[in-house]
Amino acid sequence: MPIKSYLAHPHNGQKETLIQELSALKNCEVIPAENKEVLIVVTDTDSKAEEDIIKEQLEAITSLKLLAMVSGFNTPIKN
Amino acid sequence: MYTSVTNRRSFIKKMAIMSAMTAAATMFPGVMFASEQEQKLPKGGNLDWKKAPCRFCGVGCGVLVGIEEGKAVAVKGDPKSSVNKGLCCVKGYHSVMAMYGKDRLTKALVKKNGKYVETSMKEALDLIASKMKETIKDHGKDSVSIYGSGQWTIPDGYVASKLFKGCIGTNNVEANARLCMASAVTGFLTSFGIDEPMGCYEDIDHADVFVLWGNNMAEMHPVLFSRMLDQRLKRGVKIIDFATRTTRTSMAADKSILFLPQTDLAVANAICYEIIKNGWVNKSFVEKHCNIKKGITNMGYGLEDKYKFTDKPEEISFEQYKEFLEDYSPEKVEKISGISAKDIKYMASYYGDPNKKIMSLWCMGPNQHTRGTWINNLIYNIHLLTGKISTPGNSPFSLTGQPSACGTVREVGTLTHKLPHGVVMNKKHRELAAKIWDVPVENIDPKPTYHTVEMFRALDRGDIKFMWIQVTNPMVTMPKLKRYRDATKKEGRFIVVSDIYPTPTTDIADVILPSAMWVEREGMYGNSERRTQYFEQMVNPPGEAMSDTWQLIEVAKRMGFEKQFYYKEETHIEEIYNEYRRHHEGKKHAMAPLEVLKSQPGAQWPYVDGKSTQWRFNAKYDPACSNGEEFHFYGKKDGKAIIWQRPYEPAPEEPDTEYPYWLCTGRVIEHWHTGSMTRRIPVLHKAMPHGYVELNPNDAKRMQIKTGDNVRLTTRRGEMILPAAVNERGVPAPMQVFVPFFDENMLINDLTLDAFCPISKQPDYKKCAVKAEKA
Amino acid sequence: MRKRLGIISLFVILFIAFIAIWNYSYQTGREEAYIPIENNRPIPIIPSETGVFKRSGYALEYANMPIDKNHERSLKTYYNNRAYHGAPPSIPHEVKKDRNMGENSCLKCHENGGYAEKLKAYAPVTPHPEMVNCRQCHVPQKTNSLFIGTNFPKLTAPKAGVNNALKGSPPVIPHQIQMRENCLSCHAGPSAPKEIRVSHPERINCRQCHVINNKEIKDIGTFIRNNKYD
Repeated sequence: MPIKSYLAHPHNGQKETLIQELSALKNCEVIPAENKEVLIVVTDTDSKAEEDIIKEQLEAITSLKLLAMVSGFNTPIKN
Repeated sequence: MYTSVTNRRSFIKKMAIMSAMTAAATMFPGVMFASEQEQKLPKGGNLDWKKAPCRFCGVGCGVLVGIEEGKAVAVKGDPKSSVNKGLCCVKGYHSVMAMYGKDRLTKALVKKNGKYVETSMKEALDLIASKMKETIKDHGKDSVSIYGSGQWTIPDGYVASKLFKGCIGTNNVEANARLCMASAVTGFLTSFGIDEPMGCYEDIDHADVFVLWGNNMAEMHPVLFSRMLDQRLKRGVKIIDFATRTTRTSMAADKSILFLPQTDLAVANAICYEIIKNGWVNKSFVEKHCNIKKGITNMGYGLEDKYKFTDKPEEISFEQYKEFLEDYSPEKVEKISGISAKDIKYMASYYGDPNKKIMSLWCMGPNQHTRGTWINNLIYNIHLLTGKISTPGNSPFSLTGQPSACGTVREVGTLTHKLPHGVVMNKKHRELAAKIWDVPVENIDPKPTYHTVEMFRALDRGDIKFMWIQVTNPMVTMPKLKRYRDATKKEGRFIVVSDIYPTPTTDIADVILPSAMWVEREGMYGNSERRTQYFEQMVNPPGEAMSDTWQLIEVAKRMGFEKQFYYKEETHIEEIYNEYRRHHEGKKHAMAPLEVLKSQPGAQWPYVDGKSTQWRFNAKYDPACSNGEEFHFYGKKDGKAIIWQRPYEPAPEEPDTEYPYWLCTGRVIEHWHTGSMTRRIPVLHKAMPHGYVELNPNDAKRMQIKTGDNVRLTTRRGEMILPAAVNERGVPAPMQVFVPFFDENMLINDLTLDAFCPISKQPDYKKCAVKAEKA
Repeated sequence: MRKRLGIISLFVILFIAFIAIWNYSYQTGREEAYIPIENNRPIPIIPSETGVFKRSGYALEYANMPIDKNHERSLKTYYNNRAYHGAPPSIPHEVKKDRNMGENSCLKCHENGGYAEKLKAYAPVTPHPEMVNCRQCHVPQKTNSLFIGTNFPKLTAPKAGVNNALKGSPPVIPHQIQMRENCLSCHAGPSAPKEIRVSHPERINCRQCHVINNKEIKDIGTFIRNNKYD
């Protein structure tokens, strides 16, 4: 069950578009910075496969200049 | 259980968001997120939040101070600080209240005919300068001295060192960090040749096992302890409390192991024995990166005046070291340490397991130790033998207790043998300092003079006539206190004390200067993880209170050093910091520029090419590594760290039939050091109103003592009566007692012994023999 | 005859010896049967310190529990259920059987809490589940009438939301904690009174920030030194 957080940098002036596009994605939470051109993106998926799909979707967004992963966790299902 | 998985998930998600915010804060200084945490905090109309490092311990939490109409009225944790990530402890949250005690000193006081008379600052500073000049003229430059503190800001310590070492030409510069961090310093210097931890707090987020060596972190470093508890919830890490007394930390830990005082030396060797016996040694690491040495044993304990000691290191082979360890098999050590061979093997197995990342943490336990340097060395031995060092999560980590013990005392070098860069004994170091200080190189004396205990002994003997004490309270904290208190009262001694409140130390002063504290002035602190943090002046100091930096500058000017003390009042902190940075140029110790410190919650030195260094000696992270290998211990000439052969030796004063108990002293979460600030914070005073003596419940029962009863403690130095605490905050082992030292009405240091580590000269406040009886 | 006598006397001697030895071993056995109940654990337990961490294993669950606005308790009902603040609460509901120990009756609901449909409420969690003779201290209320009225003065209970020294600083603990060392049991979860429910139960080490300030008898005031220079 991977959970990953990223810093997303939009292309110049496209922060709002990026927020909208990201918010439209399932399993994806967006926290925009109030005063800088950067957003925090958290993906929370149930499997590696879903994780790969969302990664592709993220990379396909045109208003996104750069996506840097900050931390990733994988919680194994216990019991 | 399905629910527990989702819960874990939301927690992990929170953590993921937090780390992303921290990362964003380092890349975009001043970045703001409308996070949940921010929303909850009072947005109260006029509050203006400004960042500062916390005033209290060495963890160096980032705090935001809320200012309203020129007064500091609130505190919150700085969510952008990677140290505490928005959390503080009870002292931090109430820290601003320390500025508003009713008996704040606001005017200079000069003792005239046994009475203190209010004087103008100008007159008091004139008097100090003329008294210093007169003393130097009559008794020579080594008759004046300054005793500072790990609570000095970096500029305070820097101008003190410049004035005394550079201009006056005496090495009579010491700081209270001698009583708290000296063994950590000599531990680093003997093992690695360069001071301060190689790792950083982020190690907590990577390690799998934490071993706390005599360190009650739940009370003394609570914010870091909470980070460990967070990791336990998240990843199931193990916390092992290895101590002499049962505390809140033991209660929260996964395992608590109690050893007898002083036997940590034997246990550390036993762990090394097990590591070698079981083949857990990282052979290639030891061969490539380590030398093995032994030093002089039976060093004594420094109890006599003018005691001198110099170690003579001698190289030995791995076989010789192995032979030495034969005396420390767990079965042999079990007999002296009071812990089972099984527990020793248990700890060793974690250190030896190549798949476990392990962090050792310690503070006053190993430092306030008559073999403090040795036990520091021994902990490094364990990490060096297994190669578990300088990588994320593998970290021997020496914590500090004062906000700038690292920043001001260790980095600026306000100890008798130190210079901002290097030591006075080294000609090149003297030349560099003299050049930057703009003084003739002959001014800097190549011979160190007195360490702290010896400095007060010199005051007693009359070798020192003048002492200026700033930001510290030695009349509560010196061991074997009575001798040194009497010394200060002797005829012909002149004592100046700069402080913010009346304390037992101001009681013995001839001149009391009111100081501006913390955010009433501008300055920087340096915390345990090599992080330098800046704070601006946020409120005005009361009355005529003046920063310690400016007090020193004013006196320096009056003594005729205008050329060296050219600083302008409006910009002096910036000018001093920029001058100070020149001492540390180069990849091994470069300090971040002031603009960087102003824009973010601190930066870690070495600060190279616009980047903090998190793990030193590791080529992947540390640009100063230059040997082409994975690791480079560049503090030593051959680039190798040293594994030290250090034996177990008993404490100088062990319990006997007359004084059958061990006496240990320490702190509590509510009060910080001598309590001169925290006792004036009503919340903290009410939570912990006075000192006490903790007894083991069995001992208490035998003596028919219950909580609140008076107990008489007697040592060879004196006696005192304290209320008992049985089964309260902590429980000492049988035949041991514990007394916190914050209460100035119960000066436990009248009873402690002034024995010290011969290498570091740091006294041992944790062990002496005492008699306890119902009073 | 003499031979027979010798055998008999041998057996008599053996018998006497047997009785003596048996008797002795019985006596010593009785002595050893006393095992001192003194606590010989090498690591003592400090109730006020361990209590805080007791339910911390559930901290993450607590953090994620939904708030059921319709069935919340308030501080008022919480205090109303006690003779004075700090007194053991009475049992505000019917008790199934009068002859029962806690572990198989009360603790079923009060060990970990949960929603009780019958009572339309969440069961409060006990801070001391190890003490199973619940009704030693907690009694039901079977009638609302009194035998004779009382002049018992009711202590003023501490108020919520007024215990912080500074804006936004962590509130102090305004009550005694004996028997209630475990903070999470009353301050977290759906049964916690809404005024005192903690927003951050995952921060296990409660007393890192919240210290006890409960000197109710007389205010000890602020520390000020005797020695003033004026």
